[in-house]
Amino acid sequence: MCTVPEALQAPVPYQPDAAQRPAIDRAEVLRYLGYAGQHIDEELAGRIERIVAELEHEVAPRGVRRVFAVDATGTDAAGDPCIRLVGTTVELRGRDVFRHLKDARCCALVAATLGMASERRLRLLARQNPLDAAILDAAGSAYIEAAVDEMDAAVGNAAQEAGLTRNWRFSCGYGDCPLAAQDAIVAALDATRRIGLTVTDSHLLLPAKSVTAMVGLFDGDAHAADTRPSCAICRLAGSCSFRARGTTCYAGT
Amino acid sequence: MTDYTPRTLDTLRIADDDLRAVLEGRRHLLFDGGMGTMLQAAGLAAGELPELLCLTNPDEIRAVHTAYVEAGAEVVTTNTFGANARKLGDAATVEDVFCAAVRCARDAGARYVAGDIGPTGALLAPLGTLTFDEAYELFAQQVRAAVAAGVDLIVIETMTDLAEVRAAVLAAKEHADLPIFATMTFEADGRTFLGTPPEVAAATLDALGADVVGINCSLGPAELAPFARRMVASTAKPVMVQANAGLPKVRDGKTVYDIDPATYAAGVQAMVEGGVGVIGGCCGTTPAYIRLLADIVRDRVPAAHPAAGALTVASAQTLVALPEAERRVAVIGERINPTGKKRLQAALREGDIDYVIGQGISQQEQGADILDVNVGLPGIDEPAVLARVCEQLSAATVLPLQIDSTDPAAIERAVRRYAGKPIINSVNGKRESLDAILPIAAHYGANIIGLTLDEDGIPDTAQARFAIAQRIVDEAARYGIGPDRILIDCLVMTASTNQAQALEILRAVTMCRERLGVHCALGVSNISFGLPARELMNATFLAAAFGAGLDAPIMNPGSARYMDAVRAFRVLNMEDAGSVAYIERYATWADPYKGHPANTAQAAGDTIAADAGDPIRHLILTGKKDEMAAATERLLATCDPMDLINDHLIPALDEVGELFDKGAYFLPQLMASAECARVGFDTIRRLMPASDIASKGSICLATVKGDIHDIGKNIVKMLLDNYGYTVFDLGRDVDPQAIVDEVRARGVELVGLSALMTTTVPAMEQTIDLLHEQVPGVKVVVGGAVLTPEYASQIGADYYAKDAAETARIAEELFGADA
Repeated sequence: MCTVPEALQAPVPYQPDAAQRPAIDRAEVLRYLGYAGQHIDEELAGRIERIVAELEHEVAPRGVRRVFAVDATGTDAAGDPCIRLVGTTVELRGRDVFRHLKDARCCALVAATLGMASERRLRLLARQNPLDAAILDAAGSAYIEAAVDEMDAAVGNAAQEAGLTRNWRFSCGYGDCPLAAQDAIVAALDATRRIGLTVTDSHLLLPAKSVTAMVGLFDGDAHAADTRPSCAICRLAGSCSFRARGTTCYAGT
Repeated sequence: MTDYTPRTLDTLRIADDDLRAVLEGRRHLLFDGGMGTMLQAAGLAAGELPELLCLTNPDEIRAVHTAYVEAGAEVVTTNTFGANARKLGDAATVEDVFCAAVRCARDAGARYVAGDIGPTGALLAPLGTLTFDEAYELFAQQVRAAVAAGVDLIVIETMTDLAEVRAAVLAAKEHADLPIFATMTFEADGRTFLGTPPEVAAATLDALGADVVGINCSLGPAELAPFARRMVASTAKPVMVQANAGLPKVRDGKTVYDIDPATYAAGVQAMVEGGVGVIGGCCGTTPAYIRLLADIVRDRVPAAHPAAGALTVASAQTLVALPEAERRVAVIGERINPTGKKRLQAALREGDIDYVIGQGISQQEQGADILDVNVGLPGIDEPAVLARVCEQLSAATVLPLQIDSTDPAAIERAVRRYAGKPIINSVNGKRESLDAILPIAAHYGANIIGLTLDEDGIPDTAQARFAIAQRIVDEAARYGIGPDRILIDCLVMTASTNQAQALEILRAVTMCRERLGVHCALGVSNISFGLPARELMNATFLAAAFGAGLDAPIMNPGSARYMDAVRAFRVLNMEDAGSVAYIERYATWADPYKGHPANTAQAAGDTIAADAGDPIRHLILTGKKDEMAAATERLLATCDPMDLINDHLIPALDEVGELFDKGAYFLPQLMASAECARVGFDTIRRLMPASDIASKGSICLATVKGDIHDIGKNIVKMLLDNYGYTVFDLGRDVDPQAIVDEVRARGVELVGLSALMTTTVPAMEQTIDLLHEQVPGVKVVVGGAVLTPEYASQIGADYYAKDAAETARIAEELFGADA
């Protein structure tokens, strides 16, 4: 059975103070809003900047991550191979996440959220000012991505110090990995108590601007690097509005 | 509720005199420490339900309890934190878990057994999807199970949502006659994850009937100490603290916490000296910690802490306090009341909650401290609408609410579910009113406004008004409602018909304040009915009433004149210390009496006139909404409203839609144009009788059951509104049958459904099937990130729209063909 190096065993909180919060990438916000080089007048540019800056100022992302050993030897109720995280109730079904983690020694679970204040603000604007709400929604997406990027980098650093390598970060809903696993991931991280993250009966995260992710950690070379986000495993590839504009929903190429 | 007996220590079943002494603040009480910590050390999986171990491994659970009893814990907390039907699922019944858990605690030799209840794990509406009533049912089942299993008290803990902890306390109050201990969990910023500060938690839970209120989890004792101090200052009830032992670390294969027992105990000792009566441990604490805590409270008597001495009104985020010792003023915004307001009446009848909420938001911005909410209109389901408006206002504003109705059933439904400590408006001196309203206020811990009228009407003299107020105060006392929960409204009469009464009313205010120890409210604007320059009269009376002792004027905060009087008085009553706020606001004030001929409308008009061609088209294309109202108004002088809509607004919106399609505009530009067109429509509606503007058809929109994403749906709504359709927005996570019912009730011809997740498309398909089956002829258009035209037709949709602009085109096609 695989084990987790002692240095990686404890849960690690992510709670940057005001000076350390990640910056929201403005270009990313525009990209979420469907921007493709149109001329933006000063008024609209000012409005976007005001909303983005306010979000950066008023909302602090929070997160928690923890490393668990991977057991890839079991099967799920349907008899298909699945991934289990040792010492948790997490069972990950589907071929894509299996490929992602089957050769891993352990898996870092990551959860981050912009919290209830952002959710409340979003709900309020959605009713009173749909344009501001759309901008805040895009800004929130960019912000939580930035937060997860930081946590993701911290996972990498910690893994390296422990002599492990890592692959990409994978989330429920990618490829054929069902959303239903969110419940157990949130429970394994005790994320409801630690960061106020809840899961609806339909397995969606609330606050909506939240992310959970899984990073494989390996002895030796990282495997399954091809399970990084790509259109190849995306079921929306055929109707994607990002692709229609010649771009992707994930950063990089 | 006519035979209502208010809950007191005498109506409770209290295990023994020592426990009673604890509840009276005369004795300390020591709880146990962390359970999860001990079980995980013994190998429990993260995320596994530890409650099941009561059934499968009772020996291990009992061993943990025994260790705490041996360390000196008087109370053993059952291992039932997550033992609710939602979390247990099919794994076990709530009753079996509680039964086994209580046996483990008893067998360990516990002096008192506390039936433990933690959060449901789901987020409550309106931000989440679990309703208050569903949460209440989950808790009630746990309480009944705990009582049946023989616990001595109920402890409700680690709560972050005031609505949820209220549901749990109510369930405990209504299904048990045992002492209730309730604690919430605060983050380093002094608020729970949902934004509740310690004062609000203490004031709300105390009034609702928790016998001990407090704080647990999240941080260590040193960090929780300031929050504990704030709670001690906000309630006369015993305060309880169960802190964490810091953060977990792994050393030599074992999880340890970074605050050691001695440091932890020193922190708790400081809190005990500050007035905390009930202590224990939370995550990371072990019997070693509890043993040191036992030494702290052994033979010690708790420090008495005095009652707060203030009338407090609370939303989940904000506490408005009117202390007895100091004069403070709280403005109660009166605008959410349909009497005499046609637009609000129409919004309430059409279910346009967003408009109602907008009235609350604008009053918050104008400086209101509390919002009065009245939705009484003939022919509407007042209990349902009042509760819904209150719930939505709680999500949209941070102000506490004053729930205003003549229907006790409507009041009870709203107050029961209100996340905070509201004011009920109102009770009066009539026997029927006292018997109906006071039990509600007592049971739910609400404040009341008492009107000085009775079976004989409104008396003329100050003395007679005072006598009714006295009767209300005496009657309220029988229900355990003290003067610190009462505002008396001495009822303003119109000066034009009852001139002699103006000063009598003010005298009655002074008498009530000074002799009854209550606070006073007044509906100020009644004074000026039938007189010219009403604002002048109202502002003058308001100032006089402040002088007489008025605490809470019920008024329109949108009147700058009234708010000027409020801000000026806040200097005189010392509320605005050092006149800081006053100076900041008025240092460069343009005094309206000095005369400043502003002509901004003219200036704006000039810039538009300079534009060649159709100014409406130009403004919509550039999304300049600030100038749109004036431009629309000008064009209306020469143009029929329907022509303005059909020949100017709609073609411009169509043009924007095409630009968006071609990629020349991106989403925010499309929406800015829609926003601008909206100002045009609103201007037309404001200036023209409704009959002159025909609706082009009715459309229902909803995000399907299970889905919480509604940005896309809201954009569609915005656009359709502007094309002149009547849009009924049912919100997100909407049950299929609710959509069908609404469609049928409103005679809607087109339904727009949105789903953003593959997992919620089945709910969309189910909704379409139900609509086609129960409302023949209705058309359904669907959209959302995961849908494709093929997928849409596969699930039976009549149309697929890839974006908001296309939905508008489909509507034009459908309703155009109808015409």
